[in-house]
Amino acid sequence: MEERDTPSMTRRGVMKGVGGIAALSMSNATIADAQAAITDSLPSDPHTADTYRSIVDAIVPRTPQLEEELGPEHVPGGLDVELEKFLIWDFNHFQEVRSEMITEKAGGASGPEMPRGMFEVTLDATGLGSDLDAVLDLAGLDLLDLVDLGLDGDALEEHLTFGPVERFEVAFADLDTAAEGPAAFEVTVETGDERYHRVLQNYPYAPVFTLVFDVVAAEFIARGENEDAVSRGNERFPAGGTFVQLSREDRLRCLWTIVEGGTVDRLDELLSPFLPQLGILKFVVMAVNGLHGFGYYTEWSGYGGTKTDTPNDRRLITPAGEVQSRKQSGYPGPAPGYAADWRHAVPGGFEDPPAEELTLPDDLTGDDVLDGIGGDT
Amino acid sequence: MEDPDVVIVGAGADGPAAAARLAREHGLDVLVLEAGPWHGNSKWPKPHADAGGTVSTDPDDLDGKLMDEQFTHREADANDPTWGYLRVGPADHSRAPWFRNLHQNAFIWQVSAVGGTSVHYFGNHPRAYPYAVDEQPHWPISYEELVPYYQLNEEVTSSQQAPITAKEEVFIEGAKNAGYDRIDTKNVTETGWRPQINSVEVPGRETSNGQPLDSEYDGSFSYDDGFRGDTLVGDHFQGSSTPVDAPVRDKARKSSNVGWVPRALDATADPEMGNVALRPNTFVTNVNTVEGAGALEATGVDYRDTWSGKTGTIEADAVVLAAGCIESPRLWLNSGLPDDGWVGKGLTTHWFDWVVGVYSDETIAEINPEARHMDPYVGQNSAVRFDKPGVGGMEDIGMSPGLVSYADYLFTRAGYSFDVEVDPDEPWDTRGYVVGEELKRRMSNYRQTKALLILTDDLPRQDNGVSLDGTFSDEHGAVPKVRWEPHPDDDAKRDELARIAARIHRAAGAEHVHRCDWPPLLLHMQSSMGMGRVLDSNAEAYNVDRLFVADHSALANGVGGPNPTNSGQALALRTADRIASLYF
Repeated sequence: MEERDTPSMTRRGVMKGVGGIAALSMSNATIADAQAAITDSLPSDPHTADTYRSIVDAIVPRTPQLEEELGPEHVPGGLDVELEKFLIWDFNHFQEVRSEMITEKAGGASGPEMPRGMFEVTLDATGLGSDLDAVLDLAGLDLLDLVDLGLDGDALEEHLTFGPVERFEVAFADLDTAAEGPAAFEVTVETGDERYHRVLQNYPYAPVFTLVFDVVAAEFIARGENEDAVSRGNERFPAGGTFVQLSREDRLRCLWTIVEGGTVDRLDELLSPFLPQLGILKFVVMAVNGLHGFGYYTEWSGYGGTKTDTPNDRRLITPAGEVQSRKQSGYPGPAPGYAADWRHAVPGGFEDPPAEELTLPDDLTGDDVLDGIGGDT
Repeated sequence: MEDPDVVIVGAGADGPAAAARLAREHGLDVLVLEAGPWHGNSKWPKPHADAGGTVSTDPDDLDGKLMDEQFTHREADANDPTWGYLRVGPADHSRAPWFRNLHQNAFIWQVSAVGGTSVHYFGNHPRAYPYAVDEQPHWPISYEELVPYYQLNEEVTSSQQAPITAKEEVFIEGAKNAGYDRIDTKNVTETGWRPQINSVEVPGRETSNGQPLDSEYDGSFSYDDGFRGDTLVGDHFQGSSTPVDAPVRDKARKSSNVGWVPRALDATADPEMGNVALRPNTFVTNVNTVEGAGALEATGVDYRDTWSGKTGTIEADAVVLAAGCIESPRLWLNSGLPDDGWVGKGLTTHWFDWVVGVYSDETIAEINPEARHMDPYVGQNSAVRFDKPGVGGMEDIGMSPGLVSYADYLFTRAGYSFDVEVDPDEPWDTRGYVVGEELKRRMSNYRQTKALLILTDDLPRQDNGVSLDGTFSDEHGAVPKVRWEPHPDDDAKRDELARIAARIHRAAGAEHVHRCDWPPLLLHMQSSMGMGRVLDSNAEAYNVDRLFVADHSALANGVGGPNPTNSGQALALRTADRIASLYF
């Protein structure tokens, strides 16, 4: 049931991406012409896919233990409908970056233009001692700096891995700041024996977040905040990094440290190079959880093979009331109306006087204002 | 329209009400510019795929069957914040939404479209608590002054007491058992429960077979077959274009695109009235001003077409901002207009929370002998409420399961319920995110589950609001940066309301009560350009003549907790009268 993109499928996606960028650079092709080729499928690199798969598995798991009590329809989980693709699609369509707003000038933004470097990142783990060394190199830090930041460099080095990812790059594709329109980005992920290359119309947040989650997870483990044993060489999500090595509940506890645990502050200097702005990570954790509601428990999986097409190209293959999650909730799907019993609670309706005859008490103070705290009034 | 008297920025809940009033009562020509798409208009048959027409002035352009095609009532189709047909973003669905920089565990829920966020509201249409209007020092006008405008708005929007179906009977059972009395007035000064005042027509006002709409009804719900009124579908957050086949103006739920837009366009068709033109897909990027006699004076706006990128300028004798609590201040600030400290500030959002009750079949059968389940998707989404002026309110909610799973179990500031300890003195069993096997177990009880939405009376505070982001910009300038944090007083009020909600669930016989402890949900946004702070008692800017604000951002506070649509629209109607009186 748990279908996955195979490397060969992913390479076909690369070819589509390359075709898309070729169209984009043709003088008589519009962004809209090129866009369909760029975003019409969603193969992702295996590190990204497995990281989101591990989150889906934690929030909407397969539950064979419910079969006897609730029925066989309650067994499948989010991975059975490829919910990770929903998360990846939504994050990759989260923010449009406009070509004409980009400047080649370095440094902070002043006025409406945004520096090119803010949206480009290259993490290179080859030729360096460890994945932590690659992060330090990217951040312009060394191990001694970590001490100043209050971080345990040795522990981070021991725990941090991006799995098979050896090189990760996000770069503008054929940026022309003289032309108006959404900028396209190239995402390149190299593993020991594969190279994944995609062109996307929006900033590719989905794969970037997964690297961030690995760093956060390494610090989570280094601080001893995991409650369950770490599982190196996780066979369920073999392409993931540190994050997927956590137990289901620890993955969620780890994400929560971003919201409540001060992670963003502690790791600010390490993580800043990964993202245009780190502050959105708390919003991201809200979305990582909430998107399961917008994905799994809606009719999204009913779009079948079109579910990661652009919205106008999606077609409902399975009726809205018959998708997997709807069988689990008992909701029949939208209807034009319901034959149901109803009544009016105030017989005859409210009879308030016209404005000129309105008499309200002179001593409006609110009812109990705060006196009633405790809920007993 | 080349030379309007008034240009209104935004055709959301409030802009069309102001436009209709200016044209119908005062004979003015009004151009309304809307950044989002227009659903149910024959000039835009594929509003998300094709640029369509430019401007519509004719009520005959409105097409209810087209709206039925566009509003599928499917949850992901409608409500996904990234690609749903009801989102904040360009009409072109191959593009991402408009970015707002939010550094919080929080969620902004708005819609850019003709009708604005009212396109996905539940139709709840209560008035402000009189206390909230009269006792706040920054309100420059009295409650009594708003009442005639409330009455006008309630008439146009068919506002009336909501129908009570199975899920509401459960709430009423709980409220009565907990000792609360029924309130029989729209002007609420005391604590109690009452049916919602909803801007949705009476259920089955005329049924297709001439029989009552009840559980025995077996007729058609199609307008073409003679059905009139509400069809009792709880799909309001998906756009709810019922009865199917009805003309736009005869759809049961009077979101602004149904209630006010046809009425505004009718003015154009009437030679005795002024003209209204409405132009969607048009993002206003600048308010133009000249130095006047001692003050700046607004002269018009610059805009950008969201499909073609073409820009232009419109001149008018008065400019009205109705772009909402985020975009109105953003436009102000991006236009470089003067800010003496409160532009964009004082944002209130009702400090929401959400308390969920799960009931057994037996309990439901005792309350509703004829029903096996509550079926939260049957009936209006929210048809009964609780009011406690000075503290806030709450409302009973039923929705479809995608929305329920998100709101009930996947949106919290408390952490994961498997780690959250619950104080044994509190009246709820669990709190926080519910995930894994437990989430699936709870969702298997969807048809016996409903929630109470807490609407806390939060007050305007200068730390909360909208500013220009220093990092990101889009084709319209610096993006908005949004921040909202609760004040300890608001936390205390919210805790009280959550306890009352849990006790109402208990008193109705709930088997399990879950407090979500929501983080900020920026849905009922108000007062970021508040009267008494940025605006005077005419809703005209203190610092710029001929520039008015007629959206919920002009409200001086959160109206005490009740849903703000009726108050925002009533104030916009009053502002239209003030504009005509001052300048025409």
